[in-house]
Amino acid sequence: MTEKKRLSRRDFLKKAGIGAAAVTLAACAPQQTPTPQPTPQPEAKEKKLKAAFIYVGPIGDYGWTHAHEVARRYLEERYPWLETTYAESVPEGDAMRFIDRYIQEENADIVFTTSFGYMDDTIRAGEKYPDKIFFHCSGYKRRQNVGTYFAELYQLFYLNGLMAGALTQTNKVGYVAAHPIPEVVRHINAFALGVREVNPEATIDVRWLFSWFDPAKAREAAESLIATGVDALTFTEDSPTVIEVGQEYTEKGQPVYTFGHYSPMQQFGPDSVVSGRLVRWEVIYEDILAKVYAGVYTPENLADVDYWWMLKEKTVELGGEFGVPINPKFEDALKAKTVNDPLLGEISVYDLIFERLKAMSEPTVVFDPFTGPIKDQNGNVRIPEGRRATHDELWTIDWFVEGIVAEIPR
Amino acid sequence: MDWQVFWTAVLAAIPAGTPYLYATLGEIYAERSGILNLGVEGMMIMGAVVGFGVTLSTGNPWLGFAAAALAGALLALIHAFVSITLRANQIISGLALTMFGLGLSGLLGRRYIGTPLPVRVREVPIPILSDIPLVGDLLFNHDPIVYLSFVLVPVLGFLLFHTRLGISIRSVGENPATADAMGVNVFRVRYLCTVWGGVLAGIAGAYLSIVYAPAWIEGMTAGAGWIAIALTIFALWSPYRALVGAYLFGGVKVLQYRLQPLGVSPNLLNTLPFVLTILVLLMATGEVRRRRIGMPAALGIPYSREER
Repeated sequence: MTEKKRLSRRDFLKKAGIGAAAVTLAACAPQQTPTPQPTPQPEAKEKKLKAAFIYVGPIGDYGWTHAHEVARRYLEERYPWLETTYAESVPEGDAMRFIDRYIQEENADIVFTTSFGYMDDTIRAGEKYPDKIFFHCSGYKRRQNVGTYFAELYQLFYLNGLMAGALTQTNKVGYVAAHPIPEVVRHINAFALGVREVNPEATIDVRWLFSWFDPAKAREAAESLIATGVDALTFTEDSPTVIEVGQEYTEKGQPVYTFGHYSPMQQFGPDSVVSGRLVRWEVIYEDILAKVYAGVYTPENLADVDYWWMLKEKTVELGGEFGVPINPKFEDALKAKTVNDPLLGEISVYDLIFERLKAMSEPTVVFDPFTGPIKDQNGNVRIPEGRRATHDELWTIDWFVEGIVAEIPR
Repeated sequence: MDWQVFWTAVLAAIPAGTPYLYATLGEIYAERSGILNLGVEGMMIMGAVVGFGVTLSTGNPWLGFAAAALAGALLALIHAFVSITLRANQIISGLALTMFGLGLSGLLGRRYIGTPLPVRVREVPIPILSDIPLVGDLLFNHDPIVYLSFVLVPVLGFLLFHTRLGISIRSVGENPATADAMGVNVFRVRYLCTVWGGVLAGIAGAYLSIVYAPAWIEGMTAGAGWIAIALTIFALWSPYRALVGAYLFGGVKVLQYRLQPLGVSPNLLNTLPFVLTILVLLMATGEVRRRRIGMPAALGIPYSREER
């Protein structure tokens, strides 16, 4: 489970920073009972950093904003010199007002804006407050005091695709998608590449919700896919609804394989969830904040700071729960199916998944799913043989790979 | 579209249409007694948020439904007081109720967004009957709230058309002065019917948040209350016809995702329920004229004994 894993990590960190933590605790504790303390480390008290987080959604129990909030809480506990504040459900047109408040009234040193729609406001804020630091999540505009960061999931979508392709009995795989934007298109493509690698017969169908969070629509879309014969489903939507639908069908004797998204979701479908995608934003935030604190990042040198972190940096993790890359219930089925890989020879899908996971986690990233030749739906080669898609190509992708039978709404 | 896709759409249309059905049945009773309540959307959304909140905190969905019914009833009581006792404009009072419900539910529901319910209301297949091919899945494999609506339709229809109470309700809606002279308590009947409408609207909203989604989303009724008002007219104020209309709209709702692969623009598909609303209203108006039946004659007109 999440907490267990986090605690062990936290314990380790506590040992490392126990002295500093004690100082802060003493500073925060009511003053009427002065207890003897070890000599405080002066620098821990002197320099403080205040970070503000602006969230687009409510925190809730799962999903995008929740994942950022988990990171914020973790870091506040981890660094005694760090003070944080946050605002949830900030409308995308309203970010400037909150940035003003945090900088003018609360003296924040650094502001994280965590939605694509905050991009222009963040840049404007960077111009207005040239001596402050800003980081914008998921955007592409930077300036000397505005950096960007993103935890990218496509490698995990590809790995989930391998599983879906191996497990499907009907050779029909489905994807319940939020909005037709490059990020989602890239994820559908990565998923489809995985499916087709182990099962060239399979097709991938897509339903568009036009919403990031709408459980009722997600249910209708998932059921409509199942009605066409789909038996493996993944999704981009901020609730575990698709998983619950999969679990319900599985319980009724019609197995539907599903994959969690963003948060640990295996608990919502113990018999249906094969694996999933998990994000650890704290890895990125930790790096940024430590570098700001150490003076590596200044309001003058961020124009080229763009975090695009994946498996290698341990920002994303495979699994429906932290520490469970594949639900043990499906291990045997994945081991039973074998494929012929040009490099690895005959190999079970189970082993293939871990080979790929290892290759993508290595410092040199020796494998990438978007390696040519990759054809689009019309059979045109979009990425030539032997070449990997570039960051920019992936960032702006607006075409579907072969095997996807849906269209991108224009 | 093959048979499998079509048939599952038909099956899915019943739960999708159930909120429409409850809300429409309630509005039929209110309007039959002469009270036009345009606050259905507001009562539904309050039912949704209160039902969700109570289910979340008690872990009991039936308490959630009870609380939602109560919330709907309380809102309807405001409308009843304003339009029956104070004899104010019913259209304005109803619209105000809708705005009030949407606003208040957004405020109350903020902390519920993204929170999962600990319990689920599941289908309860009826033994033996649910094994009948096709019919079994269509009628006997649903959740208890759907079964209740199957029972409510004939009961409410019978009550309205074949009992003394039903005659009282209809006479109050057609000619309150005469009904009053006949010894019917116009105020009591109108209060009861309006509040009953609120009870059913509350349940309709709670069905969305407790069973159908199940989740709280701000503004999740998304116009269902307005569709219920249109369906009331389409149903020509008859509970039996309400059943047809509600499932028709439920069907259109679930068809949206089944039509997406045909290449129809998803944005266009999203407008389908509202296009259908217009069509249905056109049809109903034609029928009202042709058959000279329909709208209760005293609908929307406040009653005052002094003006008899």
